[in-house]
Amino acid sequence: MKSKRKESNLEVVRSVYTSKIISSHRDLVALVFYGTEQSKNPRNSFKYVYVYHDLDEPGAKRVQEVDALRGEKGARLAAETMGSGETSLGDALWCCANLYSDIKLRLSHKRLMIFTCRDEPHRGDSAKDRQARTKASDLKETGVIIDLMHLMKPGGFDVAPFFRDIVSQPEDESELGLHLEPCDKLEDLQKRVRAKEQKKRAMARLNLCLGEGINVAVGIYATAVTARKPAAIRLYRETNEPVRSKTRTFHMQTGSLLLPSEIKKAQTYGKKQIVMERDEVDSIKKFQDPGLYLIGFKPMEKLKTHHHIRPAVFLYPEEGEVKGSACLFSALLMKCSERNVFALCRCVSRRNYPPRFVALVPQREEVDEGKVQFTPPGFNVIYLPYADDLRTLDPPQCPSASQIQVDKMKEIVSKLRFKYRSEAFENPVIQQHYRNLEALALDMMAPEDTEDLIMPKVDQINHRLGPLAEEFKDLVYPAGYNPESKSVAKRKTGVAEKKPKAEVPEDELRAHVQNGTLGKLTVPVLKEACKQFGVRTTGTKKQELIDALTTRLAA
Amino acid sequence: MAGTKSALVLCMDVGFSMSNSAPGEEPPFELAKKVIQKFVQRQVFAENKDELALVLFGTDSTKNPLDRDGQYQNITVHRHLMIPDFELLEEIENQVHPESQQADWMDALVVCMDLLQTETKGKKFDRLNVALLTDLSTQANQDHLDVIIENLKQAGITLQFFLPFPAEDDEEGGGDSDRRGPGHPGTGKGLSREQKESLDLVKHVMLSLDEEDGLDQVYTFRDAIEQLCMFKRIERRPMAWPCQLTIGSCLSIRIVGYKAVTEERLKKMWVTVDAQSNQKEDVKRETVYCLDDDNETEVKKDDTIQGFRYGSDIVPFSKVDQDQMKYKHDGKCFAVLGFTKQNLVRRHQFMGSQVVKMFAPKDDEHAGVALSALIRALDELQMVAIVRYAYDRRSNPQVGAAFPCVKQDYECLMYVQLPFMEDLRQFTFPSLENNKKLSPSDTQLSAVDSLIDSMMLVQKDDDDADQKDIFKVHHIPNPAFQRHFQCLHHRAVNPGTPLPPMEPWLKAALERPDVISERCQAPLEEIKRKFPLIEVEKKKKLKTSAQIFGKDAEEPDAKKAKGDEEEDYNLADIAEGSVTSVGSVDPARDFRTLIKLKSLPFGEVCQQLTHRIEQLLSNKNTHYYMKSITCIQAFREQSVKLGNADLYNSYLQSLKRSIPNRRLEVFWDLLVQDAITLISKDEVEGSTVSKNEANQFLVVEEKKEEAAVPSAEDTGDVDDLLDMM
Repeated sequence: MKSKRKESNLEVVRSVYTSKIISSHRDLVALVFYGTEQSKNPRNSFKYVYVYHDLDEPGAKRVQEVDALRGEKGARLAAETMGSGETSLGDALWCCANLYSDIKLRLSHKRLMIFTCRDEPHRGDSAKDRQARTKASDLKETGVIIDLMHLMKPGGFDVAPFFRDIVSQPEDESELGLHLEPCDKLEDLQKRVRAKEQKKRAMARLNLCLGEGINVAVGIYATAVTARKPAAIRLYRETNEPVRSKTRTFHMQTGSLLLPSEIKKAQTYGKKQIVMERDEVDSIKKFQDPGLYLIGFKPMEKLKTHHHIRPAVFLYPEEGEVKGSACLFSALLMKCSERNVFALCRCVSRRNYPPRFVALVPQREEVDEGKVQFTPPGFNVIYLPYADDLRTLDPPQCPSASQIQVDKMKEIVSKLRFKYRSEAFENPVIQQHYRNLEALALDMMAPEDTEDLIMPKVDQINHRLGPLAEEFKDLVYPAGYNPESKSVAKRKTGVAEKKPKAEVPEDELRAHVQNGTLGKLTVPVLKEACKQFGVRTTGTKKQELIDALTTRLAA
Repeated sequence: MAGTKSALVLCMDVGFSMSNSAPGEEPPFELAKKVIQKFVQRQVFAENKDELALVLFGTDSTKNPLDRDGQYQNITVHRHLMIPDFELLEEIENQVHPESQQADWMDALVVCMDLLQTETKGKKFDRLNVALLTDLSTQANQDHLDVIIENLKQAGITLQFFLPFPAEDDEEGGGDSDRRGPGHPGTGKGLSREQKESLDLVKHVMLSLDEEDGLDQVYTFRDAIEQLCMFKRIERRPMAWPCQLTIGSCLSIRIVGYKAVTEERLKKMWVTVDAQSNQKEDVKRETVYCLDDDNETEVKKDDTIQGFRYGSDIVPFSKVDQDQMKYKHDGKCFAVLGFTKQNLVRRHQFMGSQVVKMFAPKDDEHAGVALSALIRALDELQMVAIVRYAYDRRSNPQVGAAFPCVKQDYECLMYVQLPFMEDLRQFTFPSLENNKKLSPSDTQLSAVDSLIDSMMLVQKDDDDADQKDIFKVHHIPNPAFQRHFQCLHHRAVNPGTPLPPMEPWLKAALERPDVISERCQAPLEEIKRKFPLIEVEKKKKLKTSAQIFGKDAEEPDAKKAKGDEEEDYNLADIAEGSVTSVGSVDPARDFRTLIKLKSLPFGEVCQQLTHRIEQLLSNKNTHYYMKSITCIQAFREQSVKLGNADLYNSYLQSLKRSIPNRRLEVFWDLLVQDAITLISKDEVEGSTVSKNEANQFLVVEEKKEEAAVPSAEDTGDVDDLLDMM
């Protein structure tokens, strides 16, 4: 990454750094300035090119170093360390090419972003322009994607004369129709994204078996997984170095470590301990080898909304495993979607996993105006519940609302309509955590504010509803009814309960003690009696209360 | 029902007539005992608070509280009302035998009623029930019939009868025999006069207790056994979650949520125990922390703090700081953020592991009306509420959708969690339809069309507009639990024996229904023809089963050829005399060498070889299976050569018997593929096996399985009966 140092450029650089740190900290990032007076690069073979950060995993230090260059103070520091000199984009690109080639790791993709506000960096020096173009095409040949992040300048930034040949052109529709959108909007970069980036990776590769000898190879992908805070790492207090944990099993008496063969597994039922070998415990779970086995098809309306036990996964053919898979898969997908049916399959997702039934729901590809895919083609795999997973409830008998009441609610509903988008809500818990972490790492005074997007906008709602809320309440609630209060009925019974709680006369209690009939009284009454006689009890069990009272009153 | 507690008396006839049976049929006593055993097993594993008592009648001795003046004789209260355990199961197994007396079943019923009344005093039971298992062979005393019926009604005791024969021949006989193969035992025998009279009496009693469905509680032993083979569904008491649904700050409705659907787990976990003592106290697990240095220096847990990765750095961030700085909220909440069209909430974006149903509180009619208005409004507009949901202060808030649900007898909102931005992974996949190379032709599409036609799991009834679903997943009990309890039960009752094979009914319940399998044969063949599927060869060992199977067919041949070559080569080894026992590297070769050398007796070499085979088989890996097969081939070949078939044949037979227990079906299939069977008379004179038997040896297994499937077909609608029991 290169930058012409400029306050707003630095801001974007900073935001790229902080986003990368959270989304994919394993990515290597470098920061190179060109057009500097001083030069600093690996073999110092390029003038006016200053490698501020070498290609490496970014951390807090780098963000702070970028911060150091910002503001008035920063500008002074930058002038001291780097100064301002001649511009040669060609040299800068060459230097970057060297940075890439010095890396021994295999990189999955390489990207170079040029931050500038000058559309003619060499002021028409055609030799330098040519050199830059040659270097750019060399870089592109080695698989580097070059993006231009240009700032607005008076008179407009004209990409055409020079940079058009430098940046990577959006690829032609490749054979499979996949193409990367060039990110040419600075705003996009400035928007900080605090979410871990996930690599597209199949969770499992299985065969979808339609019948004897008809196996379609498919990959299972998780497209929605509950994101959690990243796991904590344990550190040694003295040095802050990470520690490793080891778990071991040993014999209590002899203290010797137990080998897996010296351990068995047990459960107790009906007062009997049942013991099994460890591999027996595993073998119980095994029904079949992993795979999907087609049972049949059902119309979509047979898939009930409430039959939900875990997030769905996504199925896509693996042509690389069985040739012809994609064709049969595609035919199934088209026909299921056309006929509005889903495929019911038995699914064993891993070794020694018991079977589950799943619905394969067809999903056709959807693309937006820019021909960018927003819904991929494939089957969504919906896990279905077994009989054990449905609980028997006892729904209360309640009168239904009248049409007038329903219509009033419809008005309310219509007032509060919005277009739901699944990506619109951030998880406030995770967002807060990342901000806290950032604040600690970068020695900030306080973490940035988190906007809780799943908080109802109460004022707006109230405003939109206006008198509707009151009107609805008048229709359904009697005067004096307050749904906010704790259960009305409960309070009544609460009062009713308190009465017998009142003290039992002393002579009556003594009679109970004598006859040994204290057990007839309830626990609250007994507790009350204990208080009455100043008996201190440690326990709350009935027998303990009775015992305490008996010893006191018998004495 | 979850959360309720019942008391049940099992009252079993052990009198002499119970041992009578027609030739070839199991005596009623054995069947009745099975019913009781199965039932008690289920109770033990269900681990609920239900209590059980066992009363036997027709016993030689008399032991019951009503035993007076020669009345209520030959009736024994074997076990008083208590929670059943394995002790009871063992007692039933070992102490309940057919005895030689007869007792009046009506008297026995009175003893049971008395027992229920005295032993449930002071305890709260929701249900009292007596299950009578008898063949009704004794003349029943009808003197106090009215009093007894009146008492049953008053005490709220329900009755169930289990008989060797169906109560209503005329209706049930024909229809059932089709389904279950052979008719019920006892039906053919014809009933005695006593039985007929008693049966009328039973009907009279049952109908006076319940005019309409009384006879539904009369079962045959056969039916009961079949239905009881399934372990009980896991049931949990639904926990109420009272809250308020809020729309802005002015409108709130009181609601109560209940978890309606969630992936149920087994209540008990496996405990690690010491292999010798079986005591869990002997085993301790401990986690230690150590520095990442050469000495792996251990540090105390107290000397560690927690940190989080921030790029290349790790930032120390103590628990205390974390708690102080973390996101906090106001606790329990069900607040509407807004309303949206149902179709914008995609089914595959449901998150979490549960569906919560929201009702109005039981005692609050007004909340009921208000909630009903919301539910109906949403239902009519085809919309959902998007809500913020927090279970309590400690748990993280969620965003989710509340769907309206209007049913015949109730209305509710169904809450499902939806994803956060961080949860979504926007993967893109290459287009399938726009790719000319991949897109299916019209004939291919029509093949898929007819496949779908043949495999529809719904049937249209002629008289009904509704479609009947023939494969309801939510009626299938979780097979993992069924298998788990089956194995636990087996181990508890037969310690020291290998685990049993899977129950055939369970296996069948997971398969494609027979109708579908038949119907889809031709369309599947068509698919096979129209869509060429070619497995891509890979160097890496492939893992999926089908791929392994695909290769297995060829491999043995290759190995066979190798075996022949090696024989020559082995002569060199023999000269050196290096082979002294059957090693693990190439046991088949060692075996051949040792046979040739004759340094050890044939029997001993064979024993060494079978020992190696057993070792190999314990690895459950195709590679080792192949090796085992070459060993067995060598075993066979040498046995034929030496004309000694006995050792080989007996080993192979015992191996076959152990296949299901050791779950070596895959291996057995390989053996079948290679047609490695017993050595027949034709090959070795001394063999006791005929050529036909040898051929059959490999086939038998399959047939058995096929035969087992249909009998287990009928597993539907069991819950109702079991609930009643």
